[in-house]
Amino acid sequence: MTIVDLTSMGEPQTEQQREINARLVSLQNEISSYCYQCAKCTSGCEAHKLLELEPHKIVALLKRGLINELVNSDIIWTCMTCMKCRERCPQRVAPIEILFALKNMAVASGKQIPGKYTAMLQSILSLGLIQDIQQITTRMNTTVKRDELGLPPLSKPTDAQKFQAAVMKIATEKV
Amino acid sequence: MTTHMKYALYPGCLMPTEQYAYELSLRESLPVLQVQLVDVPEFSCCGEPMKSVNQLLSLYLAARNIALAEQQQLDLYAPCAMCHLALSECKHILDHNTAMRERINTLLSAENLTYTGSQQVVHTIDLLYDHIGIEKIKQQVKHPLKGWKLAVHYGCHAIRPKEIGRPDDSEHPLKIEAILRALGAEPVEDYPEKLDCCGAPLLANLPESALTKTGQKLQAIQHHGIQGLVDVCPWCHKMFDARQTKAGETIAAKLDVPVFYLTQLLGLAFGLPAEKLGLHLNQSPVEKLTVEGGA
Repeated sequence: MTIVDLTSMGEPQTEQQREINARLVSLQNEISSYCYQCAKCTSGCEAHKLLELEPHKIVALLKRGLINELVNSDIIWTCMTCMKCRERCPQRVAPIEILFALKNMAVASGKQIPGKYTAMLQSILSLGLIQDIQQITTRMNTTVKRDELGLPPLSKPTDAQKFQAAVMKIATEKV
Repeated sequence: MTTHMKYALYPGCLMPTEQYAYELSLRESLPVLQVQLVDVPEFSCCGEPMKSVNQLLSLYLAARNIALAEQQQLDLYAPCAMCHLALSECKHILDHNTAMRERINTLLSAENLTYTGSQQVVHTIDLLYDHIGIEKIKQQVKHPLKGWKLAVHYGCHAIRPKEIGRPDDSEHPLKIEAILRALGAEPVEDYPEKLDCCGAPLLANLPESALTKTGQKLQAIQHHGIQGLVDVCPWCHKMFDARQTKAGETIAAKLDVPVFYLTQLLGLAFGLPAEKLGLHLNQSPVEKLTVEGGA
């Protein structure tokens, strides 16, 4: 069992794909009668101002069942997870939840994960945390680390193998 | 004598591995308010950074951390807004969805852990405002931050989604301003960019855009003539403080905004030494306020 299994860049994870697909279909059913395309989500969207993400269009495309097209689009990775779309929708639709499901699906389908996500996941598997203790620079240009500041030892899983085995189960778990 | 409030400190990843100023300042200033923080071993990532990759993994990691605190029969204090959201959302899901709780508990059994839902999760905002209270904070102020005109950045993850219960209101959060007034400062209650994102969630895959977001908010704050920015999340602070120069380069602007953790200001007002609050670790020009004082 390796990290490849969890991020499924090797074989697509059919079991996981089936589950995420069920999630997307149920989201599709929920929104179909609720969303009336007022675009209030898009008007507040943090990623819209900068990267042209339009949550109301994501909802419209899902409504039409264009799941594959969405999963293969780079735009789903521009969401800044501010949750304003979910908060402000007058019809209690949550475009952010659709985006999370679409990204999860992209990963489970074996699509390459963008940016540092793989490195973060690798670090969680080996260390339990997204990164190890960093040496930082003070404003006076000296460097310092956690212990030199008198802070107690870092809380992290001590039995890394046991922790890793438990996390790995998620990749292979049969629903 | 007041009884101590006891919490398991859930540090997460970012604060204990690089955002030392937050950890130093909360460990110094909260005991003044009779808060006892307990260090619990074995914690891992909260799961939030993995939500885009695998939501089940994210949920599992959050539940694992809560279960560790449950073993100690302690409520959790998560100073990071991302961690606080992951833990709160996990609690919300597992307390309402029995099937999911069983599924997660089956996974947790590999480490002999169980999620029961017995403990609560707090963040810096509600710990100070709701559990300690403004009056108790006021009583400890020895050096009021007189004339400090400050803007507050709450952080998206600290205030949304409302329906699962967050430390402050999702559209008009005002608790930190109330705390700052108790410290003698002059918070700006509203400014157009108050709810704008810090940019951090895009660091993993679109760092340029993330920095643009950071720069735009800081530039606006500077433009409004506000003297400093206060935050309560290691991610937001990393962007506004450590990455301020880079953010300025990204939007071709000279940025010069002092940025503080709320717990650093708490400590300063309580008369604690600046070094113990990690003020030498802030990369932004904090001396503009700490040395020269407010307007």
